[in-house]
Parts: sequence; C-alpha cells; structure tokens
Amino acid sequence: MSSITEYRSGGMGWRWAGRIFLVFLLGFTIMPMAWMLITSLKTGFAAMQYPPQWWPTEPTLDNYWRLLDPSGSVGQDFLRYFWNSMWVSVVTTVLAVAVAVPAAYAFSRFRFPGRTFLFFAVLLRNMFPAVVFLVPLFILMRVLGLVNTHGSLILTYLTFGLPLAIWLLKGFYDNIPIQLEQAARIDGATRFQAFFLIVMPLSTPGIIATSIYSFIGAWNEYIYAYTFLTRHDQMTLPVGIQRFFSENATDWPGLMAATFLMSIPVVVLFLVLQRYFVRALTEGAVKH
Amino acid sequence: MSTGQAIFRDVPDPPAPKRPSLGSRLVKSRTDYLYVAPAILVMLVVIAYPIYYTIELSFFNTPASLALSEKQFNGLDNYVTILTSSIFWKVTWQTIIWTVVSTLFAFLLGLGAALALHREFAGRALLRGLLLIPWVVSAVAASYVWKWLYHSDFGAIGALMVQLGVTDQPINFLDNTTTSLYSLIVVNVWKEFSFAMIMLMAGLQTVPDTLLRAAQVDGASPWQRFWHVTWPHLSSVSTVTVLLLVVQNFNSFIIPFIMTGGGPVGSTQIWITHIYELAFLRQRWGVGAAYAVLLFIIMMTLGYFYVRALTRGDDQRAGA
Amino acid sequence: MAQVVLKDVVKNYGPVYAVNRVSLTVEDGEFVALVGPSGCGKTTTLNLVAGLISMSGGAVTIGDRDVTNLDPKDRDIAMVFQNYALYPQKSVYKNLAFPLQMRKLPKEEIDKKVRDAAKTLDITHLLERKPRELSGGQQQRVALGRALVREPRVFLMDEPLSNLDAKLRVQMRSEIKRFHQDLGATIIYVTHDQLEAVTMSDKMAVMNGGFLQQYDSPANVFANPINMFVASFVGSPAMSLVPLTAVSKGTQVVLTSPEGWEMPLSDANGRKALSATSNKVVLGGRHSTIKVHKVQVPGAVPGKVYTVEPTGDVTFAQVFVSGATVNVSVPPGFALRPDEPVFLEFDQDRMHLFDGETEMALRL
Repeated sequence: MSSITEYRSGGMGWRWAGRIFLVFLLGFTIMPMAWMLITSLKTGFAAMQYPPQWWPTEPTLDNYWRLLDPSGSVGQDFLRYFWNSMWVSVVTTVLAVAVAVPAAYAFSRFRFPGRTFLFFAVLLRNMFPAVVFLVPLFILMRVLGLVNTHGSLILTYLTFGLPLAIWLLKGFYDNIPIQLEQAARIDGATRFQAFFLIVMPLSTPGIIATSIYSFIGAWNEYIYAYTFLTRHDQMTLPVGIQRFFSENATDWPGLMAATFLMSIPVVVLFLVLQRYFVRALTEGAVKH
Repeated sequence: MSTGQAIFRDVPDPPAPKRPSLGSRLVKSRTDYLYVAPAILVMLVVIAYPIYYTIELSFFNTPASLALSEKQFNGLDNYVTILTSSIFWKVTWQTIIWTVVSTLFAFLLGLGAALALHREFAGRALLRGLLLIPWVVSAVAASYVWKWLYHSDFGAIGALMVQLGVTDQPINFLDNTTTSLYSLIVVNVWKEFSFAMIMLMAGLQTVPDTLLRAAQVDGASPWQRFWHVTWPHLSSVSTVTVLLLVVQNFNSFIIPFIMTGGGPVGSTQIWITHIYELAFLRQRWGVGAAYAVLLFIIMMTLGYFYVRALTRGDDQRAGA
Repeated sequence: MAQVVLKDVVKNYGPVYAVNRVSLTVEDGEFVALVGPSGCGKTTTLNLVAGLISMSGGAVTIGDRDVTNLDPKDRDIAMVFQNYALYPQKSVYKNLAFPLQMRKLPKEEIDKKVRDAAKTLDITHLLERKPRELSGGQQQRVALGRALVREPRVFLMDEPLSNLDAKLRVQMRSEIKRFHQDLGATIIYVTHDQLEAVTMSDKMAVMNGGFLQQYDSPANVFANPINMFVASFVGSPAMSLVPLTAVSKGTQVVLTSPEGWEMPLSDANGRKALSATSNKVVLGGRHSTIKVHKVQVPGAVPGKVYTVEPTGDVTFAQVFVSGATVNVSVPPGFALRPDEPVFLEFDQDRMHLFDGETEMALRL
C-alpha cells in the first residue's frame, strides 16, 4: 500500500491521523450547512420544538415556494433582492477585471517612477475595514448623487476587489516569459498590442480566478449595502435577508431557505471554477 | 583564472550617463501610467478622500446631524476621551482575544487540512471544495445559520450536548457573557480556516519533492521531514496568511454585529463594532473618527510587514 | 539584408556596466557570433540591437538607418529566442502569420509566405499544431520560420540551440549554417558555447565583463588570441596557461619556475618575453602543440600526470606543471598513469606568451 507521494506525509500512523482529522473537519464544516438545509424543509411549528426533530417528520418545500413565488409579496421581494445582487455583482466583476488587468500588467512589467508606492497603496487597501470608510463614503456618494443607487455599491466594491485581483493577476504576468512580448514587438507589434494580443489571452485562468473573487466579494457584501441603500427595491440579498429576519423574527425555516438560496450561486460558481482559483494562488501568489 | 578585464583596467569608465531627472522619467513612462490610471483613480476617490476626511473629523466635534459647517475644532479631545474611557480597555482586550484566538485556530486547522490534503487520493478536489464552502458563503448567511444553531431554546448544538450527556440543560451560548465571545470565535474560525488552508496548500506545492525524498532516504522521520524541509518552505506564505488573518479578524464586523450586536453587556464588542456604534448609533462622529485613525496606525504597521512579505523578491524580476 | 554597425554602445544600470563601449561592424550577409561566459553582456548587446532595452549611450545603425531610438517593430529585424517564445495559444500557422499580420499584408500573400517558409523548413505537416505539441527541434524550426517569413534585414539569434539535446544541436547547427548560406542573411548569433561560434560564424566577437575583447575570424581568434581570457575561452580543451618568470641569461632568455626548472626560449620568444611590463610572463600552449616525453629531453619541463581521459582516437591528460594544470594529448597507444612523472616540450613556434601584469598577448 505504498503511494508514490508517500514521502510527502508520514507512514501509516500519520496517514490515519490525517484522515481522522479530515473527517472531523468535514463534520465541522458541513454540520451548520446541513442543519440549515434540514431546517429549511420544516414547517415553522416543526422547527420550534425541543428536543429538535433531527430530520423533519413532514419535510416540505413550502418555504422555497414562498420565496420563489413572484405573485406573493415575500417572493416578490426576494426575487428583486436576488436580481439586484446579481446585477451589482456582475457589473462589479466586469469592471474589476477591466481595471485590474492593465494595472497588474503594468506592475509586473514596467518600472515607472512611483510604481512601488502605488503598488503598496493598492495592497494596503485590503488593510482597512469597511466601517471606517462608511461616513466619508456616504458623504461622497451624496455629493456624487449615488445614494440609493447601485452605482454607489459598484464603485465601492470595485476598490475592495481590486487589490487582490491586481495581486493575483500580477503573479500570472510575472510567470509569462517576457520573451513572448519581445518576440511580438520584434514581429511588429506595439507594446500595447503585445500585451493585448499575446499576453492577455494567456492570463485567462487568472482572469477567471479574479472574476470569481470579485463576484463572491460583491455578492456577499453587507455593510455598504446596508448603509447606502435605504429603498428596499434597491436592496441586495444580505441586506434583504436581514430585513426579512427583522420582520419575521421567528420564521427560522423561511430564513434558512433564504440563506440557502442566497448561497447557491457563489457555491456553485466556486465549486465549478475552484481549480482556477487554486491555480492562480499557486502560480501567482506563492511563487518564490 | 584571468578575467580579461585587466587589459581595460587603465581605461576609465565612460562618464556615467547622468541619472535622468524625475521629470524626464515621468515623461518617458507616461504611457505606462495609462495602464494603472483607472485603478489608481478609483482607489484615490474611494480611499484617499475618506482617509483624509476621517483624519480631519477626528480633530473636530461634529454635531449629531453631521452638519459639517457646524463642526468645531477640539484638538486631541477625542483621542483623550478614548484613551481615558474604561470601555476602551475592555473592548481592546476583547479585540485582542478575538483576533489572536481566531487567527491561531484558523491557521492550525488550515495547516492540518493542507497537510492532510497534500497527498493524492480519490475525491480530494471535492473534499477541498466542500471545506472551502464556509469561506465562500456570505458572512450574513453564516451568522444567521449559527445564530439558529446556538438558539437558546431550539438550537441544535445545545440540544445535541444534552442528548450526548455533556450538559443537563441547553447552554445559552450567546446570551451569556462568559461564552458569548468564544461562541462567536467558533463561527469566525469556521468561516475562515479554509482561507488559511488554500493559501498553505498553494505554499506546499512549492516544496520540492526531491528534497522530501532525499530527506526520506537520509532516514528523517515524518516529523523531521515536516520540520526541516516542509516548514521552512512554508514560512513566507505562512507569514502572509497570518498577517491577512490578523487584519481580517481585527476588522471583523458582520459576525458580531448580526449575531449579538456586541452584547450581551458589551461582551462581544470589538473595535469595529464599537466604532460603528459610536458613529452610527450614538452619532459621536469625532470619537468614532479618532478610533478609526488609531486603527489606521495599527493597520499601517501590520501593512508594512504584509507588503514586505508579499513583495519579497519582486524587484529581482526583469523589466526593461 | 543589411550591414549593422554598433558604435560605442553602452548600457549601464547605475554603476554597473552591462555593456561597455562596444563597437563592431557586421557586414552585409555576414554571420557574427557574440560569445562569452554568462553575464558577459552578449545578450544585453543583442537586446540593444533589437531595441528591446534602451541604450545608455552610443548608436546602432542598420543598413543606412540610425535605429538607436526606434521601436523594435520599426527596425525590420527578426529574432529567435533561447526558449523560442512561440505564442502558446496560437497554432504554428498563426505563429508564422503573426509578423505578417502585424504588417497588414493581404491575406493571400500571408498564406503564400507562410506556406513557403514552412516548406523551406520542412514543417508544413505541423502547421495546425500548437507549440506545446511539438518536440524541441520542431519548435526550433517554427521559431526560425517565424523569423524567416518576413524577410527582415537582420536575424538576431539568442542561444537558439542551447535548449536542444546534444545530438539535435549538432544537426540544427548545420541547418542554421545552411540557412545563412542559402539566404545570404546577416545574422548576429549569441552563444556561450565557443564551439558553436567557431564552427558557425564568419567572425566571432568575444565578450567579457561588458567589454568586447576580440573581434575577428574564428581562425584568427584561435591562432592569435589577444589576451589570456580569449586564449582560455576559445578552443577545447582550453589553452593551458602557466605563470612563470622571465630571466636573461647571457644572450638567451629563459622562463623559470618556482619549482626550480628553467625553459630556454627561442630568440623571437625571448624578445617577446622581454617586452613584458615586468618579468612576470604567462606561458600558453594548446594541447596539439605540446609533446609528452617519459624521459627528460632538452627544453622539456617536468610535470606530473593528474588525470587521463581516453576518448578513442586520442587520449587527453591533465598534467601539473609549476602549480598550473596543462592539457595535453597523446596517441591512444601511449600509456599514461596518474601521478606518473612526465616531461612536456612546448613548440617554440606555436607557443603563446602573455604579459603577467596586463594579461595581454606579447607580440613583436
């Protein structure tokens, strides 16, 4: 039973320790999600029992139908939030990639005055919590006339998605041999053509990774959405769900169904594309 | 052996071309800036302005209405207020516990998972994906799910503990000053350990297999192989990971805000939730801003190490 | 095709001079090899000619145009890279077509030229493949094809063979040489392998430490190395260098070793030795000019065998002489054992003498 990668870990003892650890970790990870799913299949009455029904005696999909029924008021709201979140996240993602790609390339290849300072500034954006920016940004959005618009969110999300996007993509560009661009320039391309026609297509995996990250970040953002949007037809899902909870504080099954539906897009997107993300980290972020 | 340069020893180097002035270098690289301009512009608007604004606000007393025209300069009063208040030290202590304990456990679980997942086996990618789900789902959703798990009457965890005979009565995890902070830390670790895992998995890929094989041939035990070969290769990615976790935890907001709102009796109040409360719930804009400035200073210090760890070796790469 | 002139070309990074006042002229249709150890500035020089990095000083002319400040795309050059730099996402056809597309040639003309080039290099059957599906040798041909398709004025080649295995390298060497002859192309070829330079080029430019050391035909560089660096760099095995002291004894000049022996010099060599800046003189000899004796003969110097390497038709040996290692060759039947004492006779007409201070060759 010897594996070709045996030297990576230990002998049988360590391997079993690793397996047991993974099982424990998987339980820790899955349990809350499983309970979310189980609760969402209960009626409100069934959820409020002690001891709890570990599996619903009468499973029902009613909570989901209610959220997804466009003719009911709950469904109307939920679908509107869902659509708002989708719109904001997609636009943010497209813009983030469009802005991050050239910036990452420049940071990787060019040595212009101020490069280091600017790169640090970009990276440091990650260090600041959203809360301390709330007041000034709220005032800024008021000045720009963006309060209660999705524009305010997109502009804000762009900045917190950018640092990691630029960093990941820069890692990709660092790994693309500079000779490819040199060849292109000798073949008659301008610097920009060499970048746009030769290098950019090669960074597709990095662009995909960046897109996933931006999308997830925008989809899950709460604080700015909570502050900038007061009209509930503009709200995104995290804020909408909080509103739902404050209005139906005891409807736990409904809330669990809503959190489940809200999690689907990001989880599916991530599971399908996770190899790009892992690869981007491996190739870009962790090289030496 | 000979260098061959010797024959030119007497020939002086040509006068070093003067280092081009900053102005001419700016002009020369003007097209380079076009690539970064959009990113920088966005960041300037959304970062530089707020930072300036926050610093300014921290030296003023601003009315609750946030009518900026009526703000009054009060020097360092806001800072004095913070440092002399008793709650400041309580909140700071809780912030430290929250940050350190969360970071420690997230890192250790992440490291264990990364090591266990490093060997090939069927279903590895799926397992990695499942473990990453908490990191991907929204913190708001996670907070509600855990709030439900911790529910004082119908919570699954309390009930499970009673059924397993650990306790007689369901524990009231969140409405209890002794358990509330640690209950939230569990949620936080659940949410972020897989971030450490994925970073460290990427780091493990950089460990040369030949070295591990050589160590095995040399008779190193698995522990020795980890300690002498694997760990040194992980140190820089570990530094980045720990720094990012510290920053992320220090800046946490959603989990305490949604799950307990800082309560009960302020037992889960950390810096960020405290700042939020001061500014938005009590309209003490100046004190809130002063807190934010202190936070900037802490973050910049961490940021210095973060940037240094990230950009190590960056300038060695060529670029004409 | 065109002539290329480098005049006082300088590239410095702060106080570090990667290329230091290099001047050389590559005649139209000439094959010039830039050769030297790694870090000697040869690749930087090539990149300066290509315009891929900016010059700190000096000028480059291609044909009758001063290209010093032109973009690479406007210099009308082609380049073959060490790692081939084939565009990974494009098929071979598209790789070949790219330089023509950039010059906005009509589609039919592009197609014709691509197919012609493919035919010349015998890669027609590969046109639809992606670079990663090709062997090293095939990639090498495609890279040549991409350079050739545009009919540039100069070909620049940066160690194009160093990623190939030994056998393929020898084969591609002759193909590139053939390519040069058939096209009458002007080629500047960078290599760290002196054998490649010697076998392929019309002229070789030996570089070290950013300086151009010697620029001449391979035969002249081999026969009359200008200094100790060139002497030890060109030729395989390398020329052996033994530091000694020159002393006049009556009418004769002898080289003396700290080990106590003396070696009388011929009149001509004696005058060379006396022209050195001090009495320190370095004796240089190639293996083919040194005779090995098992017994003392007049003029021979004592040494001790260190290693013996039979290669089949000739046996090489390293011999310690006065603290230096001397490469010699003997016929296969000539038995040598490690640690055996031997006597080496240097051919007075073909030995080299260098100034021990300046390291320059001593000439009359």
